[in-house]
Amino acid sequence: MTFQGGFLGLSVKRETSMSPLLRLDSVTKSFGAVRALKGVSFDLRPGEVHALVGENGAGKSTLIKIITGAHPPDSGAIEIAGAPVRHLNPAAARQLGIACIYQQPALFADLTVAEAIALRLEPPGGLRRVIWSERHARAVQLLSQIGARISPDTEVSQLSAPEQQLVEITCALGGGARILILDEPTASLTRKEAELLFALVRHLRSTGVGIIYISHRLEEIFTLADRVTVLRDGVSLGTRTAGELDETALIKLMIGRDVSQLYPPAEGEPGETALSLRDVGCAAGGVHHVSLDIRAGEILGLAGLVGAGRTELARALFGITPADSGEVRRSGERVDIQSPQQAIACGIAYVPEDRRRHGVILEMPIAANITLAAHSRLFPAAWLRLGVEQSVACEMMRNLDVRASGPDAPARSLSGGNQQKVALARWLATQPKVLILDEPTQGVDVGAKSEIHRILRRLAGAGMAVVMISSDLPEILGMSDRIAVMRGGTIAAMLPGRASAHEVMAAALGQPATGL
Amino acid sequence: MKRYFLEVSVALALGAVLLALAVFAPAFYQPQPLLSLAAREAPTLVVACGMALVIICRHIDISLGAQFSVCSVCAGLLAAMHWPLVFVLPASILLGAIFGAINGALVAGLGLPSIVVTLATMATWRESLRWWREGVWVDLPDGLQWFGLSQFAGQWTLILVALTLLAALALAMRHLAAGRFIYAVGSDTEAARLAGIRPQRVTFGVFVLAGAMAGLAAMMNVIQSPQVDPNSGTGLELKTIAAVVVGGVAISGGRGNLWGAFAGLLLLACVGPALTHLHVEPYWDKAIQGAVILLAVVADGLRRRQKTL
Amino acid sequence: MRHESFLLLMLIAEWLLFAAVGRNFTTLDNTFDIIRHSGEIGLLALALTAVILTGGIDLSVGSLLGLCAILFGKLWRDASLPIWLAMTCTLGAGALAGGFNAALITGLRLPPLIVTLGAFSLFRGLAEAITRGMDTFTNFPPTFLRLGQERWLGLPAQAPILILFATGIWLLVHRTTFGRSFRAIGFSPEGARYAGIPVGRRVTMVYVLAGLTAAMSAILYTARLGQAKADAGTGYELLAITAVVLGGTSIFGGTGSVHGTLLGVAALAVLNNGLVHARQPREVAGLLTGLLLLLALAGPVLLKKLAERRGRWHSPAPAIQNNETA
Repeated sequence: MTFQGGFLGLSVKRETSMSPLLRLDSVTKSFGAVRALKGVSFDLRPGEVHALVGENGAGKSTLIKIITGAHPPDSGAIEIAGAPVRHLNPAAARQLGIACIYQQPALFADLTVAEAIALRLEPPGGLRRVIWSERHARAVQLLSQIGARISPDTEVSQLSAPEQQLVEITCALGGGARILILDEPTASLTRKEAELLFALVRHLRSTGVGIIYISHRLEEIFTLADRVTVLRDGVSLGTRTAGELDETALIKLMIGRDVSQLYPPAEGEPGETALSLRDVGCAAGGVHHVSLDIRAGEILGLAGLVGAGRTELARALFGITPADSGEVRRSGERVDIQSPQQAIACGIAYVPEDRRRHGVILEMPIAANITLAAHSRLFPAAWLRLGVEQSVACEMMRNLDVRASGPDAPARSLSGGNQQKVALARWLATQPKVLILDEPTQGVDVGAKSEIHRILRRLAGAGMAVVMISSDLPEILGMSDRIAVMRGGTIAAMLPGRASAHEVMAAALGQPATGL
Repeated sequence: MKRYFLEVSVALALGAVLLALAVFAPAFYQPQPLLSLAAREAPTLVVACGMALVIICRHIDISLGAQFSVCSVCAGLLAAMHWPLVFVLPASILLGAIFGAINGALVAGLGLPSIVVTLATMATWRESLRWWREGVWVDLPDGLQWFGLSQFAGQWTLILVALTLLAALALAMRHLAAGRFIYAVGSDTEAARLAGIRPQRVTFGVFVLAGAMAGLAAMMNVIQSPQVDPNSGTGLELKTIAAVVVGGVAISGGRGNLWGAFAGLLLLACVGPALTHLHVEPYWDKAIQGAVILLAVVADGLRRRQKTL
Repeated sequence: MRHESFLLLMLIAEWLLFAAVGRNFTTLDNTFDIIRHSGEIGLLALALTAVILTGGIDLSVGSLLGLCAILFGKLWRDASLPIWLAMTCTLGAGALAGGFNAALITGLRLPPLIVTLGAFSLFRGLAEAITRGMDTFTNFPPTFLRLGQERWLGLPAQAPILILFATGIWLLVHRTTFGRSFRAIGFSPEGARYAGIPVGRRVTMVYVLAGLTAAMSAILYTARLGQAKADAGTGYELLAITAVVLGGTSIFGGTGSVHGTLLGVAALAVLNNGLVHARQPREVAGLLTGLLLLLALAGPVLLKKLAERRGRWHSPAPAIQNNETA
């Protein structure tokens, strides 16, 4: 996938009209007892990239959902192109030119790119003739406008993730979007693909489209954004131009204090090596030559851009896509983990990234969820001891402070933070020696987030080896005793826990760490 | 061309079978029996078109055979009451459409799984018919058979009707927006909804259409003999599912086309007589049909597996 | 528990209705008759409960019953095996057939619907082919026939078999980790995998069990009728699935109970028997079974929609749809 040469670096003319494309005034939104947004004001000018930054739980997703009409605000005003809007719903938002590009594209896997675009852009009537040449021509035109070299006759299922993303953007722009929201757009992209996306973003900016850019990757913010709005605890800390800030200042704004003060401090020294990796690789996951020592009693932060191979490494260690090269030793003994059952038997636990699909089973009660991975330990001879299940579940819920109506409530009745605690409880019930967590506080409210951090620190203090994969830079910096930075499928750098944000990002990007 | 791999394979297999027949059993190609075979299979082709649409929409309808039987008997009875043909035909189609609407309401309206709904409606229609008719055949008035034309003309009319319908539907599936909606809903219902398509309406429409085709096919079946057999639809759904799946329409929905279904039906229709000419007993029919379905599905599964590796 | 209570009430209502309308319906002999006739469907429905809980389906059990019956007859008559050996081999064949289905479903990730639909045709076809469409096996030894036609301790022979099997399946589904994993797989196969459940092995287990059960039912069927024909078990899959869905098991998997299935089997058996006593032709039973299945499927959905609509009138604020709060 390449871009046509045309516009790279040549965009100059920017619309500088004064009326903002979008304005939110003192918007408030609560979900039950959780106040997600408190009096947030936000505006987007034409031809600007406006970054929205904040930790997990700060309120970014909620703000976006209000803009796209998925949720109505409890109070506050919304103005689009100067005209006030009431009762915004998703269809109306699309009509008004608001489009959000999510990580999961809503394209038709079995159909061609031309058709996928056409179905989104054509009027809904069924009794009209389909002219394929027109569809093809329109797709060619729209794709070339953003410089994507994708043949319209390709089947969508054959496209790579970044290509699908481009098609999504094409649909959005083809539908006349003037406000484009990119929510973690580089999540599945390689470095090169991300660069191409940035070029596209700059091009769109030059045509007057306003872009709201949400990302954990602060280096992207500084590369692309014109202005930055920081959210913390549901409150906006104001909007600044990108030039006014550097990483440290930005992080300080995001978390309100020095990183070292927010997170629970480490206690004690790390113990023996619980899991040692030598030259571990997994071809299917793009991981190669990973050598690492995971020590008991310490929290190892696994940083890096997504696509660097962190989740793939975790899945290899856990047996979902097993490693095919190298050596893994568990307390000195060589192990070959080919399935999750084997991993559990070795004392390895993995709390997955996708909480709702892999972390918990929403329809099952909490107690059943908690014991699901520990059947061999809790229920010998395959006999379900319901009394044991209840007591284990209740104890876990107490230890982790899971707020629910009872152990028999279905997992779907819980908030995101409590669901994550149940997912954690499930793995703690297997009494692992090595606990790997993948984005443990993503989509979790601030209160639950700090509780989870305290729990992790407690576990490490009690001797567990904890590996924490996170894209939340303050979290990595605040929680880790050591930081392993991955890049391109292997470990790029091992940094001490006291490393600076800049050092971590430089290692993740493959740039030399110059002083700032 | 890779996109049409399955359809091409079926066409090649069909060619191979036809060639083998030409060499080993040239008696197969005698004009009159061949014409009769084609005319007999014409109603099946019509039903197969309806079944293909349902499957592309990621559903299944195993009640089409029962619908066919009921419509055949009703059409026969209306004809026996000396209703003119010009009223009997629409009546049969309408009855089929009503059956389809019932299925559609349950599947699209209530979100119930189509396999179990059509299993239930199949049993209901089939048993109701048996209870009502007690297996008695319907005697048709003279002059109804072959529309009052000669057998030759009547057979050709049926074949042309079936082929015209096939061509019309295939064109509509390719060039009419509503046809593309069926593919969209079958491929990804949520994405279809986001694109402004109404999945429930599309699904309902597909079941109604399939029912109407069953009604039409029933009429095409009735005029081929002086009596109506109330069990004429038995096994029809399995036969059409086999034809459609062999022809490249994926059970997972969203892909395949009617021409492939046509090739699949031809292949299966030839396999039967081919086996007869090779002196294979007819009691092997069901086993072979099952084996063909499984082979087609396995082949598709292997192909998809290769793609992801 | 609500669904099962409702079904129990319906069963009682059925019983009262037929007691009033039919003749000789409420005799002990007739009750035994009901049990005797529900043996095979009961076994199939119990095994299918596990299959459907995993989110799958097996349309081939009725045809497999026919095939196993034929194999049994052939082994006994043409291969002259002692009856107990013929029985054992038949059970093995059933398990193998179930394994065949399982291999295609788990190994090649094919949809259970179409695999078992093909198997439905294949198994019946093989049965017809082996018997050349006309052969029937009869003249089974009287000791064997006692299994299907006699009484043990005053109850029909099917009763202890059914009770034993039902208890076993109930324990499997409700009190073992296997049953728990079936539900997890039914709700979310990927979620189950990430929880360390060996999804392939569990799914294979339920289909092999279904095949084994079809073989057992074939033996019972042959013992009850005293003969084995290729059309044995025709339509049984519909009845079994109806009983399972009637009993409250969701066709999508995850939720359901074995006691519900038993109530469903009882409801259908009483329906069939009662209609005979009310002098109704066989087809009415088939018709009512189809309607009953539709009712069992549509009923809960309609009630839920009605409740939602009523709820919307009382409290206009929308409920929390998802749990994201960040």
